[in-house]
Amino acid sequence: MYLEETPAAADEQDRALVRQYLEGQRDAASGLVDRYQKRLFNLALRMLDNAQDAEDVTQTVFLNAFLKLRTYDPRYRFFSWVYRMTLNESLNVLKRQKRTVTLEDGPAIPAPGATTDEATELQDRVGKALMRLKPDDRAVVVLRHFVFFSYQEIAGVLGIPVKTVKSRLFTARERLRLTLREGGEEPC
Amino acid sequence: MLNRDRIELIHREIDGANTPDESAAFRSLVAENPEARTLADELRQVIRLLDGVGEREPPPHLKRAILEALPWPARAVTPQTMTRWFVSQLSLATARMEEAFMTRKTMLIGGTVVAVAIVIAARIAGFPREGGTAGTIGGVEPAARYRGRVMTQADVTLQNPEIQALFQNHDILRLVQSSVFRDAMHNQAFRELQASDAYHQLMASDAYRQIQAVPAYGQLMASEAYRQLQANEAFRQMQVQGAFREAQSAEALRQLQANAAFRQVMASDAYREIMANQAFRELMASDAYRQVVANSAYRQLLANDAFRQLQANEAFFRLQASDAFRQLQAAETFRALSRSAELSDQFMREAMRVAQP
Repeated sequence: MYLEETPAAADEQDRALVRQYLEGQRDAASGLVDRYQKRLFNLALRMLDNAQDAEDVTQTVFLNAFLKLRTYDPRYRFFSWVYRMTLNESLNVLKRQKRTVTLEDGPAIPAPGATTDEATELQDRVGKALMRLKPDDRAVVVLRHFVFFSYQEIAGVLGIPVKTVKSRLFTARERLRLTLREGGEEPC
Repeated sequence: MLNRDRIELIHREIDGANTPDESAAFRSLVAENPEARTLADELRQVIRLLDGVGEREPPPHLKRAILEALPWPARAVTPQTMTRWFVSQLSLATARMEEAFMTRKTMLIGGTVVAVAIVIAARIAGFPREGGTAGTIGGVEPAARYRGRVMTQADVTLQNPEIQALFQNHDILRLVQSSVFRDAMHNQAFRELQASDAYHQLMASDAYRQIQAVPAYGQLMASEAYRQLQANEAFRQMQVQGAFREAQSAEALRQLQANAAFRQVMASDAYREIMANQAFRELMASDAYRQVVANSAYRQLLANDAFRQLQANEAFFRLQASDAFRQLQAAETFRALSRSAELSDQFMREAMRVAQP
């Protein structure tokens, strides 16, 4: 296991909410949902590039997390646990869908003074470029650049060595660089 | 050409993970090596792009949907908690629709709903077909002479061009040769169900296609408790109701909670697994599924031991998910023919004869 202990205040707050929930305080559930629904939704969204799927994954993860809360070991970080569940559930969705994505030709670098629509288009293109990565590589990129985790934190969430995190991240970024620069590449 | 160590040095610098000495080495590298400089610049550009993709707010109904589905912590997982989850999924679907009306997609969604409603209404009311459209799955186009008028029983013969086209289809012939299909065709309830429009729509749906691949679905369908549950009027009422939110407080649900088969199903691993499956949730929320559940032939099927054995048969699951089976389903004449045991037998015999080398 690569999950790590931490004395951080955020972790302490998570543990307190978990404890209160298990003691029967329903407000604690609301607190945990408030703290994590946006993060988990966005994590799933970047993995799946589909808001409705991301919504389903978020809900499924919360339900599973609360159902298994009695077995959760409070020595480990709550967010690592739910992030990992979110990634696993997203991977399950991808396996079921076996989704393939095409990327239209065209430059991805935003022009100076780009409008909101152009920014939206850029987001779409980045989303599509991400979907061209292998899911395992995409998970590393998403954790690094959308959740802003360190190599060690990514290793903790994914349960892989730091060396593997670096290898996947560097390979994935190289692929993204080529995809976004050239506007198209063979899907993974 | 940059070696692996130098490429990693650049990546780590961009991530702020280099030591001071490594950062100094990086600066020297990019100062001396144009390829390294280009790579560093382009990677920074990629990262700026990624960083520029902001967070999106989750939909407003999500928190409520999550909280409504949560089990009460003081208890273990109970049938009630699973039921709450079941009901909340449909509540969520309703909430999504409500929110959809507040978005720019309203016209698109509304148009689609209206179009689907018209198609379903046309099928139920038996409106004459104006155009010669093929079945949803494709591959079997109705014969030209039958376009533009309602099919009658007199059309349902082995000489019907649509049936003759089936006999020319190698995939269909292979399907007909399989023992599992022959067993199914000897089952009257199965044949009746095939003739139903709702079953036809269900079979054509992506959600049903996906759910066929889930082993837990087969286990659940084949279980005795699920069969008993399907025979329970309260359970069927709950499944068939359009407004599932109302079901939470409905008498049907209260009755169900006193039902041993219901409790057994809700507590089963197969049910938990299937309820966590997105395709199954989509399937249950679909009109076609509700119509099938309300269909008397479907209930007879579930009460039929032979069919339950078929449901537990992996080959049968694969058969239902096969393109050939879907092509067969798309042939209106075949579906009409399925109503008759005699015509079905004739069809099977003729198909076996044609399939002989």
